[in-house]
Amino acid sequence: MEVWEKVWVKDADFLLSTHGKVGCVICHGGDSQKEDKELAHAGLVIDPSDGNCETCHKDIAETHDFSLHATLSGFKSALEARGGSIEEGSPLDTAFENHCQECHTSCGQCHVSRPDEVEGGLVSGHKFRETPSTQYNCVACHGSRVGAEYLGQNAGIPADVHWTQEMMLCTDCHSEELHGSGEVLDSRYHNPDMVKCEDCHQDVWTNTEGNPQHEQHLGDLSCQVCHSVAYKNCYGCHVAIDVEGMPCRTSEPSVMQFEIGYNPLRSSERPYKYVVLRHVPTCSGTCDFYGDALFPDFNAASTWKYATPHNIQLHTPQNESCDACHDNTDLFLTEEDIRAEEKEANKDIIVDEFPETVGK
Amino acid sequence: MKKLVMAFTVILVLFALAVIGCTNKELVGPSPEAEQEVVSTCVTCHTDKDTLKELATTEEAAKSEATTGEG
Repeated sequence: MEVWEKVWVKDADFLLSTHGKVGCVICHGGDSQKEDKELAHAGLVIDPSDGNCETCHKDIAETHDFSLHATLSGFKSALEARGGSIEEGSPLDTAFENHCQECHTSCGQCHVSRPDEVEGGLVSGHKFRETPSTQYNCVACHGSRVGAEYLGQNAGIPADVHWTQEMMLCTDCHSEELHGSGEVLDSRYHNPDMVKCEDCHQDVWTNTEGNPQHEQHLGDLSCQVCHSVAYKNCYGCHVAIDVEGMPCRTSEPSVMQFEIGYNPLRSSERPYKYVVLRHVPTCSGTCDFYGDALFPDFNAASTWKYATPHNIQLHTPQNESCDACHDNTDLFLTEEDIRAEEKEANKDIIVDEFPETVGK
Repeated sequence: MKKLVMAFTVILVLFALAVIGCTNKELVGPSPEAEQEVVSTCVTCHTDKDTLKELATTEEAAKSEATTGEG
Protein backbone atom coordinates (compact mmCIF):
# COMPACT_ATOMS: atom_id res chain seq x y z
CA MET A 1 0.00 0.00 0.00
CA GLU A 2 1.40 3.39 -0.99
CA VAL A 3 1.98 5.95 1.75
CA TRP A 4 -0.61 8.36 0.34
CA GLU A 5 -3.14 5.60 -0.12
CA LYS A 6 -3.00 4.70 3.56
CA VAL A 7 -4.57 8.04 4.48
CA TRP A 8 -6.80 8.59 1.46
CA VAL A 9 -10.46 9.09 2.38
CA LYS A 10 -11.56 7.93 -1.03
CA ASP A 11 -15.26 7.64 -0.35
CA ALA A 12 -16.82 11.05 0.31
CA ASP A 13 -19.91 9.30 1.68
CA PHE A 14 -17.90 8.66 4.82
CA LEU A 15 -18.16 12.34 5.67
CA LEU A 16 -21.93 12.00 5.84
CA SER A 17 -21.84 8.92 8.04
CA THR A 18 -22.29 8.98 11.80
CA HIS A 19 -18.56 8.71 12.37
CA GLY A 20 -17.74 11.13 9.58
CA LYS A 21 -19.97 13.80 11.00
CA VAL A 22 -18.12 13.73 14.29
CA GLY A 23 -15.28 15.57 12.58
CA CYS A 24 -11.60 14.79 12.19
CA VAL A 25 -10.00 16.65 15.10
CA ILE A 26 -12.40 15.38 17.73
CA CYS A 27 -10.81 11.96 17.37
CA HIS A 28 -7.47 12.63 15.73
CA GLY A 29 -6.46 15.98 17.19
CA GLY A 30 -4.41 18.27 14.95
CA ASP A 31 -5.64 21.60 13.66
CA SER A 32 -8.18 21.57 10.85
CA GLN A 33 -7.79 25.29 10.23
CA LYS A 34 -4.10 25.18 9.34
CA GLU A 35 -3.13 24.74 5.71
CA ASP A 36 0.50 23.88 6.39
CA LYS A 37 0.90 20.11 6.65
CA GLU A 38 3.19 20.17 9.69
CA LEU A 39 1.01 22.63 11.60
CA ALA A 40 -2.20 20.83 10.68
CA HIS A 41 -0.72 17.58 11.99
CA ALA A 42 0.65 18.97 15.26
CA GLY A 43 -0.54 16.71 18.05
CA LEU A 44 -2.04 14.23 15.62
CA VAL A 45 -3.26 10.90 17.03
CA ILE A 46 -3.04 8.37 14.23
CA ASP A 47 -5.03 5.66 15.99
CA PRO A 48 -7.48 7.37 18.32
CA SER A 49 -9.27 4.21 19.45
CA ASP A 50 -8.35 4.56 23.11
CA GLY A 51 -10.70 6.93 24.87
CA ASN A 52 -12.95 7.56 21.88
CA CYS A 53 -14.71 4.39 20.81
CA GLU A 54 -15.86 3.66 24.34
CA THR A 55 -17.83 6.90 24.42
CA CYS A 56 -20.55 5.27 22.35
CA HIS A 57 -19.56 1.60 22.29
CA LYS A 58 -19.13 1.24 26.01
CA ASP A 59 -20.20 -2.40 26.38
CA ILE A 60 -17.90 -3.70 23.69
CA ALA A 61 -14.99 -1.51 24.76
CA GLU A 62 -15.21 -2.72 28.36
CA THR A 63 -15.06 -6.34 27.29
CA HIS A 64 -12.40 -5.72 24.69
CA ASP A 65 -10.11 -4.26 27.34
CA PHE A 66 -9.73 -7.82 28.69
CA SER A 67 -9.55 -9.58 25.36
CA LEU A 68 -6.54 -11.43 23.99
CA HIS A 69 -6.30 -8.85 21.21
CA ALA A 70 -5.98 -6.06 23.77
CA THR A 71 -4.02 -7.66 26.59
CA LEU A 72 -1.97 -10.27 24.72
CA SER A 73 -2.52 -12.37 27.83
CA GLY A 74 -2.02 -15.49 25.73
CA PHE A 75 1.61 -14.52 25.20
CA LYS A 76 2.05 -13.55 28.82
CA SER A 77 0.60 -16.79 30.14
CA ALA A 78 2.91 -18.78 27.85
CA LEU A 79 5.96 -16.91 29.16
CA GLU A 80 4.88 -17.26 32.77
CA ALA A 81 4.04 -20.93 32.38
CA ARG A 82 7.72 -21.52 31.69
CA GLY A 83 8.77 -19.65 34.81
CA GLY A 84 9.40 -16.40 32.99
CA SER A 85 9.08 -13.16 34.94
CA ILE A 86 7.42 -10.31 33.13
CA GLU A 87 7.49 -7.91 36.04
CA GLU A 88 7.89 -4.34 34.88
CA GLY A 89 11.48 -3.61 33.98
CA SER A 90 12.54 -7.28 33.90
CA PRO A 91 14.51 -8.55 30.86
CA LEU A 92 11.53 -10.57 29.70
CA ASP A 93 9.25 -7.57 30.10
CA THR A 94 11.58 -5.62 27.82
CA ALA A 95 11.51 -8.47 25.31
CA PHE A 96 7.72 -8.54 25.54
CA GLU A 97 7.46 -4.83 24.89
CA ASN A 98 9.87 -5.01 21.95
CA HIS A 99 8.53 -8.09 20.22
CA CYS A 100 5.11 -9.12 21.46
CA GLN A 101 3.41 -5.80 22.06
CA GLU A 102 3.31 -5.03 18.35
CA CYS A 103 0.62 -7.66 18.02
CA HIS A 104 -1.74 -5.66 20.22
CA THR A 105 -4.70 -4.49 18.23
CA SER A 106 -7.14 -1.67 18.83
CA CYS A 107 -10.73 -1.08 17.72
CA GLY A 108 -9.55 0.96 14.76
CA GLN A 109 -7.01 -1.60 13.63
CA CYS A 110 -9.82 -4.07 13.03
CA HIS A 111 -12.70 -1.83 12.03
CA VAL A 112 -11.06 1.06 10.17
CA SER A 113 -7.48 0.44 9.14
CA ARG A 114 -5.09 -2.42 8.69
CA PRO A 115 -3.19 -3.34 11.87
CA ASP A 116 0.02 -1.52 12.81
CA GLU A 117 1.81 -4.86 12.56
CA VAL A 118 1.41 -4.61 8.78
CA GLU A 119 2.07 -0.86 8.75
CA GLY A 120 -1.52 0.32 8.82
CA GLY A 121 -3.50 2.05 6.09
CA LEU A 122 -7.21 2.72 5.72
CA VAL A 123 -9.10 -0.34 4.51
CA SER A 124 -12.17 1.22 2.93
CA GLY A 125 -11.43 4.93 2.78
CA HIS A 126 -12.02 5.44 6.50
CA LYS A 127 -15.37 3.68 6.44
CA PHE A 128 -16.02 2.03 9.79
CA ARG A 129 -16.58 -1.62 8.99
CA GLU A 130 -18.76 -3.45 11.46
CA THR A 131 -17.20 -6.62 10.12
CA PRO A 132 -13.43 -6.50 9.73
CA SER A 133 -11.94 -7.48 6.41
CA THR A 134 -10.72 -11.06 6.31
CA GLN A 135 -7.99 -10.10 3.88
CA TYR A 136 -6.81 -6.78 5.28
CA ASN A 137 -7.43 -7.28 8.98
CA CYS A 138 -7.66 -10.89 10.16
CA VAL A 139 -5.26 -12.52 7.76
CA ALA A 140 -2.93 -9.53 7.91
CA CYS A 141 -1.87 -10.78 11.34
CA HIS A 142 -3.06 -14.39 11.33
CA GLY A 143 -1.69 -15.13 7.89
CA SER A 144 1.35 -17.32 8.35
CA ARG A 145 -0.49 -20.30 9.73
CA VAL A 146 -4.28 -20.04 9.94
CA GLY A 147 -4.73 -17.66 7.01
CA ALA A 148 -2.54 -19.67 4.65
CA GLU A 149 -4.24 -22.89 5.68
CA TYR A 150 -7.72 -21.53 5.23
CA LEU A 151 -7.05 -19.99 1.83
CA GLY A 152 -5.06 -22.97 0.51
CA GLN A 153 -1.77 -21.13 0.21
CA ASN A 154 0.39 -24.04 1.35
CA ALA A 155 1.70 -25.98 -1.64
CA GLY A 156 -0.12 -29.24 -2.14
CA ILE A 157 -2.56 -28.66 0.71
CA PRO A 158 -6.17 -27.87 -0.20
CA ALA A 159 -7.96 -24.83 1.17
CA ASP A 160 -10.54 -25.22 3.91
CA VAL A 161 -13.88 -26.53 2.74
CA HIS A 162 -15.63 -23.62 4.47
CA TRP A 163 -13.76 -21.33 2.08
CA THR A 164 -13.89 -23.37 -1.12
CA GLN A 165 -17.56 -24.29 -0.82
CA GLU A 166 -19.14 -21.43 1.07
CA MET A 167 -16.53 -18.63 0.91
CA MET A 168 -17.08 -18.10 4.59
CA LEU A 169 -15.16 -15.21 6.11
CA CYS A 170 -13.39 -15.28 9.46
CA THR A 171 -16.18 -13.37 11.13
CA ASP A 172 -18.80 -15.85 9.95
CA CYS A 173 -17.50 -18.13 12.70
CA HIS A 174 -15.51 -15.82 14.97
CA SER A 175 -17.69 -12.97 16.12
CA GLU A 176 -18.21 -11.74 19.66
CA GLU A 177 -15.45 -13.98 20.98
CA LEU A 178 -13.01 -11.60 19.33
CA HIS A 179 -14.02 -8.89 21.79
CA GLY A 180 -13.19 -11.22 24.67
CA SER A 181 -15.30 -12.67 27.42
CA GLY A 182 -14.74 -9.90 29.95
CA GLU A 183 -12.02 -11.89 31.71
CA VAL A 184 -8.30 -12.10 31.14
CA LEU A 185 -7.72 -15.50 29.54
CA ASP A 186 -4.71 -17.76 29.20
CA SER A 187 -5.56 -18.60 25.60
CA ARG A 188 -8.35 -18.44 23.05
CA TYR A 189 -9.32 -21.97 24.00
CA HIS A 190 -10.31 -20.73 27.45
CA ASN A 191 -12.92 -18.35 26.06
CA PRO A 192 -16.38 -19.76 26.88
CA ASP A 193 -17.77 -18.00 23.81
CA MET A 194 -15.30 -19.58 21.45
CA VAL A 195 -16.82 -21.01 18.33
CA LYS A 196 -17.16 -24.78 18.12
CA CYS A 197 -17.78 -26.97 15.08
CA GLU A 198 -20.99 -28.23 16.65
CA ASP A 199 -22.41 -24.72 16.81
CA CYS A 200 -23.30 -25.26 13.16
CA HIS A 201 -22.92 -29.01 12.77
CA GLN A 202 -25.29 -30.04 15.53
CA ASP A 203 -26.64 -32.87 13.43
CA VAL A 204 -23.31 -34.63 13.61
CA TRP A 205 -23.78 -34.96 17.33
CA THR A 206 -27.45 -35.74 17.40
CA ASN A 207 -27.54 -38.28 14.60
CA THR A 208 -24.63 -40.63 14.05
CA GLU A 209 -26.70 -43.21 12.24
CA GLY A 210 -24.95 -44.47 9.13
CA ASN A 211 -21.66 -42.97 10.19
CA PRO A 212 -19.76 -45.57 12.23
CA GLN A 213 -16.76 -43.27 12.58
CA HIS A 214 -18.82 -40.60 14.28
CA GLU A 215 -20.64 -43.24 16.27
CA GLN A 216 -17.34 -44.58 17.53
CA HIS A 217 -15.27 -41.46 17.99
CA LEU A 218 -17.42 -38.43 18.82
CA GLY A 219 -16.22 -37.09 22.11
CA ASP A 220 -13.00 -39.04 21.96
CA LEU A 221 -11.34 -37.28 19.03
CA SER A 222 -11.44 -33.60 18.23
CA CYS A 223 -13.04 -32.91 14.86
CA GLN A 224 -9.67 -31.88 13.40
CA VAL A 225 -8.14 -35.29 14.07
CA CYS A 226 -10.24 -36.73 11.25
CA HIS A 227 -11.02 -33.64 9.19
CA SER A 228 -7.86 -31.55 8.96
CA VAL A 229 -4.73 -32.18 6.94
CA ALA A 230 -1.06 -31.20 7.23
CA TYR A 231 -0.53 -27.76 8.73
CA LYS A 232 2.35 -25.44 9.44
CA ASN A 233 4.65 -25.90 12.40
CA CYS A 234 7.30 -23.37 13.38
CA TYR A 235 10.55 -23.82 15.25
CA GLY A 236 13.42 -21.96 16.78
CA CYS A 237 12.23 -18.38 16.99
CA HIS A 238 14.84 -16.02 18.41
CA VAL A 239 14.26 -12.35 19.10
CA ALA A 240 16.88 -9.60 19.35
CA ILE A 241 17.64 -5.96 18.62
CA ASP A 242 19.53 -5.38 15.37
CA VAL A 243 22.46 -3.05 14.75
CA GLU A 244 20.03 -0.26 13.85
CA GLY A 245 18.35 -0.64 17.23
CA MET A 246 15.22 -2.21 15.78
CA PRO A 247 13.50 -5.32 17.12
CA CYS A 248 14.08 -8.34 14.89
CA ARG A 249 13.50 -12.07 14.93
CA THR A 250 14.70 -15.14 13.14
CA SER A 251 13.17 -18.58 12.89
CA GLU A 252 13.82 -21.87 11.19
CA PRO A 253 11.91 -22.72 8.02
CA SER A 254 8.42 -23.92 8.87
CA VAL A 255 7.47 -27.56 8.39
CA MET A 256 4.16 -29.00 7.18
CA GLN A 257 3.27 -31.78 9.57
CA PHE A 258 0.21 -33.52 10.90
CA GLU A 259 0.56 -34.84 14.43
CA ILE A 260 -2.07 -36.38 16.64
CA GLY A 261 -1.26 -36.33 20.34
CA TYR A 262 -2.88 -36.52 23.73
CA ASN A 263 -5.06 -33.54 24.58
CA PRO A 264 -3.12 -31.02 26.71
CA LEU A 265 -6.29 -29.03 27.46
CA ARG A 266 -8.62 -31.86 28.39
CA SER A 267 -11.74 -30.53 30.11
CA SER A 268 -15.49 -30.95 30.14
CA GLU A 269 -15.58 -28.53 27.23
CA ARG A 270 -12.91 -30.47 25.36
CA PRO A 271 -13.08 -34.04 26.58
CA TYR A 272 -11.21 -35.51 23.63
CA LYS A 273 -8.40 -37.92 24.35
CA TYR A 274 -6.72 -37.22 21.02
CA VAL A 275 -6.30 -33.85 19.32
CA VAL A 276 -3.99 -32.45 16.68
CA LEU A 277 -0.96 -30.60 17.99
CA ARG A 278 0.99 -27.74 16.45
CA HIS A 279 4.57 -26.87 17.32
CA VAL A 280 4.79 -23.23 18.34
CA PRO A 281 7.87 -21.20 17.36
CA THR A 282 9.31 -21.01 20.85
CA CYS A 283 12.42 -22.73 22.19
CA SER A 284 14.34 -22.40 25.42
CA GLY A 285 16.63 -19.78 23.88
CA THR A 286 13.97 -17.61 22.24
CA CYS A 287 14.80 -14.62 24.44
CA ASP A 288 18.50 -15.30 25.13
CA PHE A 289 19.38 -11.89 23.69
CA TYR A 290 17.80 -10.35 26.80
CA GLY A 291 19.44 -12.56 29.40
CA ASP A 292 20.37 -16.06 30.43
CA ALA A 293 17.87 -18.66 31.53
CA LEU A 294 14.84 -16.40 31.27
CA PHE A 295 12.66 -19.51 31.23
CA PRO A 296 13.90 -21.35 34.31
CA ASP A 297 11.03 -23.82 34.09
CA PHE A 298 10.91 -24.25 30.34
CA ASN A 299 9.73 -27.84 30.56
CA ALA A 300 6.61 -26.87 32.51
CA ALA A 301 4.74 -26.11 29.27
CA SER A 302 4.65 -28.15 26.10
CA THR A 303 5.98 -26.80 22.83
CA TRP A 304 3.36 -28.78 20.89
CA LYS A 305 0.04 -27.07 21.50
CA TYR A 306 -3.64 -27.87 21.16
CA ALA A 307 -4.46 -26.85 17.61
CA THR A 308 -7.41 -26.27 15.36
CA PRO A 309 -5.95 -26.18 11.84
CA HIS A 310 -8.09 -24.25 9.40
CA ASN A 311 -7.88 -26.64 6.46
CA ILE A 312 -10.95 -28.76 7.13
CA GLN A 313 -11.89 -31.41 4.57
CA LEU A 314 -14.70 -33.93 4.48
CA HIS A 315 -12.36 -36.61 3.21
CA THR A 316 -8.80 -36.85 4.48
CA PRO A 317 -6.09 -39.50 4.20
CA GLN A 318 -6.63 -40.55 7.81
CA ASN A 319 -10.40 -40.98 7.58
CA GLU A 320 -10.37 -43.10 4.41
CA SER A 321 -10.71 -46.21 6.54
CA CYS A 322 -10.23 -47.30 10.12
CA ASP A 323 -6.75 -48.64 9.51
CA ALA A 324 -5.70 -45.53 7.64
CA CYS A 325 -5.37 -44.09 11.11
CA HIS A 326 -5.21 -46.98 13.54
CA ASP A 327 -1.66 -48.01 14.28
CA ASN A 328 -0.40 -45.56 11.66
CA THR A 329 2.43 -44.17 13.74
CA ASP A 330 3.24 -41.55 11.10
CA LEU A 331 0.12 -39.67 12.16
CA PHE A 332 0.91 -39.63 15.85
CA LEU A 333 3.28 -37.49 17.85
CA THR A 334 5.94 -39.90 19.08
CA GLU A 335 9.29 -39.64 20.81
CA GLU A 336 10.94 -39.56 17.41
CA ASP A 337 9.06 -36.40 16.46
CA ILE A 338 10.28 -34.46 19.46
CA ARG A 339 13.59 -32.65 19.64
CA ALA A 340 15.85 -33.96 22.39
CA GLU A 341 15.75 -30.73 24.38
CA GLU A 342 11.94 -30.68 24.31
CA LYS A 343 11.12 -34.25 25.29
CA GLU A 344 10.50 -33.43 28.94
CA ALA A 345 8.23 -30.48 28.07
CA ASN A 346 6.06 -32.70 25.88
CA LYS A 347 6.17 -35.97 27.78
CA ASP A 348 2.48 -35.88 28.71
CA ILE A 349 1.18 -35.51 25.18
CA ILE A 350 3.42 -37.95 23.33
CA VAL A 351 1.40 -40.96 22.17
CA ASP A 352 2.82 -44.16 23.54
CA GLU A 353 -0.03 -46.54 22.80
CA PHE A 354 -1.59 -46.66 19.36
CA PRO A 355 -5.11 -47.73 18.47
CA GLU A 356 -4.97 -51.29 17.16
CA THR A 357 -5.72 -52.12 13.56
CA VAL A 358 -9.22 -53.43 12.99
CA GLY A 359 -8.89 -54.85 9.48
CA LYS A 360 -11.26 -52.35 7.85
CA MET B 1 -58.48 23.27 43.48
CA LYS B 2 -56.22 20.34 44.40
CA LYS B 3 -56.88 18.72 40.98
CA LEU B 4 -56.07 21.97 39.25
CA VAL B 5 -52.73 22.24 41.04
CA MET B 6 -51.96 18.60 40.17
CA ALA B 7 -52.82 19.11 36.51
CA PHE B 8 -50.73 22.26 36.37
CA THR B 9 -47.76 20.42 37.92
CA VAL B 10 -48.01 17.57 35.39
CA ILE B 11 -48.17 20.01 32.50
CA LEU B 12 -45.18 21.89 33.92
CA VAL B 13 -43.13 18.68 34.21
CA LEU B 14 -44.01 17.59 30.68
CA PHE B 15 -43.08 21.01 29.37
CA ALA B 16 -39.76 20.91 31.20
CA LEU B 17 -38.98 17.48 29.75
CA ALA B 18 -39.80 18.66 26.27
CA VAL B 19 -37.50 21.65 26.64
CA ILE B 20 -34.61 19.79 28.24
CA GLY B 21 -34.95 16.70 26.13
CA CYS B 22 -34.38 13.12 27.22
CA THR B 23 -31.16 12.42 25.37
CA ASN B 24 -27.99 11.25 27.05
CA LYS B 25 -25.75 14.26 26.84
CA GLU B 26 -22.65 12.12 27.35
CA LEU B 27 -23.00 10.61 23.91
CA VAL B 28 -20.90 12.23 21.25
CA GLY B 29 -22.92 13.13 18.21
CA PRO B 30 -22.55 15.49 15.36
CA SER B 31 -22.54 18.99 16.78
CA PRO B 32 -22.93 22.17 14.72
CA GLU B 33 -19.16 22.64 15.12
CA ALA B 34 -18.57 19.14 13.86
CA GLU B 35 -20.78 19.72 10.87
CA GLN B 36 -18.78 22.82 10.06
CA GLU B 37 -15.57 20.96 10.49
CA VAL B 38 -16.38 18.72 7.58
CA VAL B 39 -15.20 21.64 5.48
CA SER B 40 -11.68 21.62 6.85
CA THR B 41 -8.14 21.33 5.62
CA CYS B 42 -8.19 17.73 6.83
CA VAL B 43 -10.98 16.86 4.43
CA THR B 44 -9.63 19.02 1.63
CA CYS B 45 -6.33 17.19 1.58
CA HIS B 46 -7.34 13.68 2.59
CA THR B 47 -10.01 13.36 -0.07
CA ASP B 48 -7.70 14.60 -2.83
CA LYS B 49 -5.56 11.82 -4.19
CA ASP B 50 -3.24 14.15 -6.09
CA THR B 51 -2.57 16.35 -3.08
CA LEU B 52 -1.80 13.32 -0.96
CA LYS B 53 0.60 11.99 -3.59
CA GLU B 54 2.29 15.35 -3.81
CA LEU B 55 2.71 15.74 -0.07
CA ALA B 56 3.56 12.13 0.75
CA THR B 57 6.92 11.55 2.35
CA THR B 58 8.86 8.32 2.43
CA GLU B 59 8.18 6.28 5.52
CA GLU B 60 11.08 5.13 7.61
CA ALA B 61 11.56 1.38 7.61
CA ALA B 62 9.22 0.00 10.25
CA LYS B 63 10.73 -3.46 10.26
CA SER B 64 14.23 -4.69 10.75
CA GLU B 65 15.99 -6.11 7.73
CA ALA B 66 17.50 -8.68 10.05
CA THR B 67 14.10 -10.33 10.51
CA THR B 68 13.78 -13.63 8.71
CA GLY B 69 11.29 -16.48 8.73
CA GLU B 70 7.60 -16.50 9.34
CA GLY B 71 5.96 -14.65 12.19
